[in-house]
Amino acid sequence: MGLFTNKFQDNIIVEKLDNLLSWGRSTSPWFFQFGTACCAIEMMAAAASRHDLKRIGMIPRSSPRQADVMIVAGTVTMKMAIRVKKLYEQMADPKYVVAMGSCATSGGPYWQHGYHVLKGVDLVIPVDVYVPGCPPRPESLIEGLLKLQEQILEERPLTRKMA
Amino acid sequence: MTENQQKLIDELVNKGLDGDMDAVNAHQDRMVRAKAKSMIMKIQKGILKRPPLKKISPEEVPNGDIVQNQEKKENKQESTSAKVVRKLLEKFPNEIENEEFDSHIQLKPDKWFEIATWLKSEPELFFDSLQCQMGIDVQDDILESRYNLHSMKHNHYVELRIAVSRSNAKIPSVEKIWRVADWFERETYDMLGIEYIGHSDLRRILLPDDWEGWPLRKDYQEQETYHGIIVPKMKEGWE
Repeated sequence: MGLFTNKFQDNIIVEKLDNLLSWGRSTSPWFFQFGTACCAIEMMAAAASRHDLKRIGMIPRSSPRQADVMIVAGTVTMKMAIRVKKLYEQMADPKYVVAMGSCATSGGPYWQHGYHVLKGVDLVIPVDVYVPGCPPRPESLIEGLLKLQEQILEERPLTRKMA
Repeated sequence: MTENQQKLIDELVNKGLDGDMDAVNAHQDRMVRAKAKSMIMKIQKGILKRPPLKKISPEEVPNGDIVQNQEKKENKQESTSAKVVRKLLEKFPNEIENEEFDSHIQLKPDKWFEIATWLKSEPELFFDSLQCQMGIDVQDDILESRYNLHSMKHNHYVELRIAVSRSNAKIPSVEKIWRVADWFERETYDMLGIEYIGHSDLRRILLPDDWEGWPLRKDYQEQETYHGIIVPKMKEGWE
């Protein structure tokens, strides 16, 4: 141990780089604000001062290239589904998706008669967290985002994955 | 109020109090009727005294004024659709399909453009605003295009309907007459597949350009996939 013994001050933390990376990612997932319907209002409320998503390190970005998380807030029509996929593909890795509200998770009220509505955004892009509700309250959304952060924290980006 | 009218009311009141209310109710002038009825009420409550029984001669009954007033009223009450129909029959005979014009006028599609031009330019009608144009599938293989017209100048409305068959869904476009019809007609085309002949830019407006079928037709079938995205049809659990 001779090389590092007594070399560091009090304010230095020793941790695995793997853990550090996932911790850093989980505490600052900037989200791509993607409101397609009424859920966007609740997403705005969650980002505004009362609920304040910045407390948990989430900052809204208007470009997919600057964002880590895509919150699909609202009904996705077939016409929009192609655009959703395109926007998802423009995001840089690592990227995560939160399906907010019943429309984005399953088609919601348009399940039976909505010929033009995508029955769940997971038909197009992989979804990490589903937030149910019509629309979900900001508290629900924050709960979902905290779940996502837990999920990111458990990742080990540098460890080789065993088959 | 004239003396004659007062006499008339007195007589009606006397008749009513004697049990012949039909005579009161059948009277034509609304004002006389109402006054007679209120007077009967007051007499029954004891506020007024019963008018003296007196016979009036037929010459004194003021029929002349009342009849004239009623004729004027009827003239005013001619509905806009009736007016349009009256003028339309003079100008374009054989273009109207329905017989009662309470709510709407049913037209044939062939001369619709000429009729629309005329409706807008005719000074007595002057329908300068197309408030709404919509389409509907009324079953039995018939599609309808409906137009709600309004005149800013005369403040009157009319609803026109044009029915076409599904196999030959073609209607002349009125986009050049009312500019607002541009998007209205595009939407009807998008949803029902009615082709508006003469429209400058007839594309789908809401659905993507490569969509198959006309969704608001009753016989519409959802497509299986759209750009490789599956459209699930397993909906039994929800019904």
